[in-house]
Amino acid sequence: MSQNRLLAILLSVLAVLVLVVGGLSAILLLSGGDDDNGGTASSGGGGTTTETGGGGGNLAEPSSGRIRLASSDPITLDPHLAGDATSAEYIVEIFGGLLTLDQDLNIVPDLAESFEVSADGLTYTFTLREDAVFHDGRSVTAEDVAYSLNRAASRELSSPTALAYLGDIVGMREYFFGLADSIPGIQVVDDRTIQLTIDAPKPYFLAKLTYPTAFVVDRQQVESNRNWTRRPNGTGPYKLTEWRLGERLVLEANQSYHLGQPSLREAVYLLSGGSALTRWENDELDVAPISVNDIDRARDPNSDLGPYYEAFPQFTISYLAFNVNQPPFDDPHVRRALGMSIDRERIANVTFDGMLQKATGILMPGMPGFVDDDLSLPFDPEAARAELAQSQYADNMPVIQITEVGAGAEASVDMQAFIEQWREHLGVEVQVRQSDFASFLSAQDQQQLQAFSAAWIMDYPDPEDVIDLLHHSGSQLNATGYSNPEFDALVEQARVEQDPTTRLDLYRQAEVVLLEDAPWVPLYFGVSHVVVKDQVQGWFEPPMVVPRLRYITVNR
Amino acid sequence: MAMTATQEVYVDESSVGESAWRQVWGRLRRKKLAMISLLIVVAIYLGGIFAPLIAPYGYNTQDLDRGLEGPSADHWLGTDRLGRDMLSRTLYSARTTVVVTTAVVLSGSLFIGTTLGLIAGYRGGWVDNLIMRVGDIFAGLPAIIMLILINASLGRRVEDAARWVEDHTFLDGLVSSGFHSYLLVFGALSLFFWVGSARVIRAQVLQLRENDFILAAESLGGSSARVIRSHILPNVSFLIVLGISASLGGIAGSEILLTWFGVGVQNAPSFGGMIYEGSGARTFQSHPHLLLVPGAVVTALLFAFNLFGDALNDAMRGR
Amino acid sequence: MGAYVIRRLAWLPLILFIVSFATFALARFGPGDPVTVAAGQIRDPEVLAQIRQDKGLDDPIPVQYARWLGDAVRGDFGESFIQRGFTVSELIFPKMWVSAQLGFLALVMIFVVGIPLGLLAARLAGTWVDPAIIGTLLFLQAIPVLVLIPPLLWLFALQFNILPVGGWDGIFEIWWIAGVIAVPIPDPHLYLPLLAFTLPGFVGVARLVRISALEVNTLDYVRTARAKGLSEANVQWRHVFPNSLLPVITVFGLALSGIIEGALFIEVLLGIPGIGSFLFEAVTSRDYDVIMAATVIFATAFVLTNLLAEIIYGLVDPRVRLGASRN
Repeated sequence: MSQNRLLAILLSVLAVLVLVVGGLSAILLLSGGDDDNGGTASSGGGGTTTETGGGGGNLAEPSSGRIRLASSDPITLDPHLAGDATSAEYIVEIFGGLLTLDQDLNIVPDLAESFEVSADGLTYTFTLREDAVFHDGRSVTAEDVAYSLNRAASRELSSPTALAYLGDIVGMREYFFGLADSIPGIQVVDDRTIQLTIDAPKPYFLAKLTYPTAFVVDRQQVESNRNWTRRPNGTGPYKLTEWRLGERLVLEANQSYHLGQPSLREAVYLLSGGSALTRWENDELDVAPISVNDIDRARDPNSDLGPYYEAFPQFTISYLAFNVNQPPFDDPHVRRALGMSIDRERIANVTFDGMLQKATGILMPGMPGFVDDDLSLPFDPEAARAELAQSQYADNMPVIQITEVGAGAEASVDMQAFIEQWREHLGVEVQVRQSDFASFLSAQDQQQLQAFSAAWIMDYPDPEDVIDLLHHSGSQLNATGYSNPEFDALVEQARVEQDPTTRLDLYRQAEVVLLEDAPWVPLYFGVSHVVVKDQVQGWFEPPMVVPRLRYITVNR
Repeated sequence: MAMTATQEVYVDESSVGESAWRQVWGRLRRKKLAMISLLIVVAIYLGGIFAPLIAPYGYNTQDLDRGLEGPSADHWLGTDRLGRDMLSRTLYSARTTVVVTTAVVLSGSLFIGTTLGLIAGYRGGWVDNLIMRVGDIFAGLPAIIMLILINASLGRRVEDAARWVEDHTFLDGLVSSGFHSYLLVFGALSLFFWVGSARVIRAQVLQLRENDFILAAESLGGSSARVIRSHILPNVSFLIVLGISASLGGIAGSEILLTWFGVGVQNAPSFGGMIYEGSGARTFQSHPHLLLVPGAVVTALLFAFNLFGDALNDAMRGR
Repeated sequence: MGAYVIRRLAWLPLILFIVSFATFALARFGPGDPVTVAAGQIRDPEVLAQIRQDKGLDDPIPVQYARWLGDAVRGDFGESFIQRGFTVSELIFPKMWVSAQLGFLALVMIFVVGIPLGLLAARLAGTWVDPAIIGTLLFLQAIPVLVLIPPLLWLFALQFNILPVGGWDGIFEIWWIAGVIAVPIPDPHLYLPLLAFTLPGFVGVARLVRISALEVNTLDYVRTARAKGLSEANVQWRHVFPNSLLPVITVFGLALSGIIEGALFIEVLLGIPGIGSFLFEAVTSRDYDVIMAATVIFATAFVLTNLLAEIIYGLVDPRVRLGASRN
């Protein structure tokens, strides 16, 4: 091993390293170059925006304050493609549609100034506001609305969500599947008037219009720039001014917002990094969610977190679902027995440290149609055993397998507690299968799962979104195969009932029938637990995604 | 995760047969560390094998009023969130590790690896080429990533197959026992753990073939099977044992990674699952025993595997 | 030598072909697809079927694979389903860069720390220090990263609050002195991942250095040097150090492949936006094109590492004649 040899080897290693590092730097430079292009193009757009923004902002005191939040990258900022809550949270701030939800989840006009419903409940005529403009200052016309609705349902876009929210519009389905060239249900009357016709008088159609799928995008931008979602030109209270994947996303107040100037000037979303609470404690964040490990500390008013802790109920429900076409769940006695032998309240307290609320039915507190009664099956092991004894499977219980989304060798902790209670109170052995999300969804859609544990997040504040959509025998989202003519009749009637009180009462009756039949055992309602810095006023965690930044003030 | 590492081993050609094993054992016995490691491995394996007899509680026996307790007289290693005894769960997890390592060693390192190594070395030619090139490909893959993909994609299919078997035969309880998930884990791990031992054995066989006594046996008309059995196998037995001891740690470690990832064994407590439940800095802060108990046992096991493997290597080389 | 390297490199396309096809088939063979995941809660089977058909996801796997391969050869790795509007190349290169920087630093660290420890152990052979060093390093190697990281996080981030809990902010942070002079210092996000990557890797280097240093110590010219009256420090520095260094390069491959495989778990646990955590997300959401690109990159890195290791090994140790056994 001569010195020469050593030198040669070291040199060759060095050469390889230089090559690798050099290659990677070249790649980085190239990709960085792309970024710069995007940046320049959009900062040009931003320039014009600021100009108009400044013009409109003279009326009121300019927005102020800056909030720092932890979040993750949106899957997409294209409102017509988004189907997840994270994306929706950004989209509702950046874009808008004809209607929106206010802080209290009332449906209120956004781009529309007013609307009329025809006597038969089928035709909605919207009049647009005169002062509604895109971030770049261009006025929003009825053509823009029509373009956006058409785009959402277009074949090229292949939006997985369009029909779910807009499929009630006459001709939308045919257009999506390429059977028609236009959508007869969308008519532009004049520059400021647009008419939508739906296939049946469905009062909840208005609620669906508050979802991003019905939002308005800028045709010029969409058609001219393939990467438009990286700096979208929307009509919402906030403009996207910076988005670095995996690092940060910045929203800045739209000073000329037509529903009133936002009081908060800037929201910075930090898209990576570890525990939000630790960063909150280091004063890197203004709001941080609390996990089960810190909840005791947060609840203690004398702790360092206590004074900042707040909890907000959410419109989410987790549940167990039984496939009524597969033994033993084709026997309602078995379903009820399983539902009555688990102590959901106690398990919520032990496994989640009381962070979730026991579900008292299907509709969450605050939802239209919610009643302050416990409609769910009571915890009663005695009665559960009696139910089981009546069932045809009392002596020959088939293998029961519950599927849940998760990783790890064993079931989630609460599921393991349920299993133990079923064993203890009923003598029934239940197994759990863990599945990844993708496999779970496809098995669920094909009604393959014998039983499963899942959660539902409300899309719009109408009971139809959970009671009808997931349980009507004809619904495509009915994963349990549940079918009861009495229940179907009730929800069908509720779909077209024009009187709100009667309608909610119909849903209540349907909910009672459903809980008695027990294709679902509701488990818990979600609750959001956060700590909020002193400087932030008016922070709230709405029960479902609504625009909220403009109501918040930060003294910083 | 040195799954693809091969080692050269020199075995003194004269030192085969029973007396050679006795010599190795004699050398091993003088190594204090080796004996301690052996003791640790044996203790953990015995604990796993006899878990149902020695575990103070069932692995699933819950006491919701006594969750997340630290060590006490009732629960020597504390309890988890559902009030289950950590000691019992650890013993049952060891059982899972015992099953997985044994099965993979038998099927992968021992059966596939030895057989293919012997065939490649003895037959030579295109057979050798084919086997070794296939081995190169497997060794060239990032094993753990491929394992995750295999298990994530095939998990449900294998389960369906197991259900089909249950429905069409008198076999019962395949799915409920988690048998199919074990099968998948064995299969996938074996796929990657044969290469090392096959390579080493092939090299040794190539060398042996040049030896006079084998040539003599062949020229005397001994059948291939007979020559392999009576002349070659005894000469590579050291290598087989070494290969096994070198791969044990990797197999146990991979099983833990797979299970942590959610694509490992199911319906059974396992170290991967326990570690998963205990990980997270804040969980560790408030309930360190959730991670420390399974973590310590796993670390001790892997440490002992490594030390013992080294010592065995030394002993076989006459040190 | 050159011919051997070329022959081994010729294997690379074949291995990549097999890896990519196996990955492709495995990813698509599994139940569930990205269309379902991207749809969110309200999934209309007819709509999803239409989208699948439009995107060609219903075609036979070999047809789809041929299409993917055709695009990939031209540098088009497709689009991500879970980060819409971005091509896989756009997403993956920044992540590769993060992983590459971290991996490179970890590799350097392993040698920078491992070599002195090995020399120290050799120097103090026969005392308690030698087995203590090697034993400790062996022990560190035995701790699975899954077990190692939570206590590290707790200790440095929660207890002492001196390091961030995870994430990534580049290698350097700039300190401004008086607002004028810029001093680059290592970013605090670096330390935890570096620890997690390097702690299990030290032992390989240290042990080898120790063994070869012990061998060198007994060699004639070292003895001669000592006999000539050179100081021990001088002997160590001039003779033992350079000559025991050589074999160390052979563990380069092992160290690097450990880092590559460890990246998957370490990046996920520490929230580092590298290619490992990217692959993790992609696998759980069946983001086909990302899985493909990330796996192919991992496999390429792995194969090249092994090859490089073999070449270096051949250069260092003339006894190993590369390719000699082949035929």
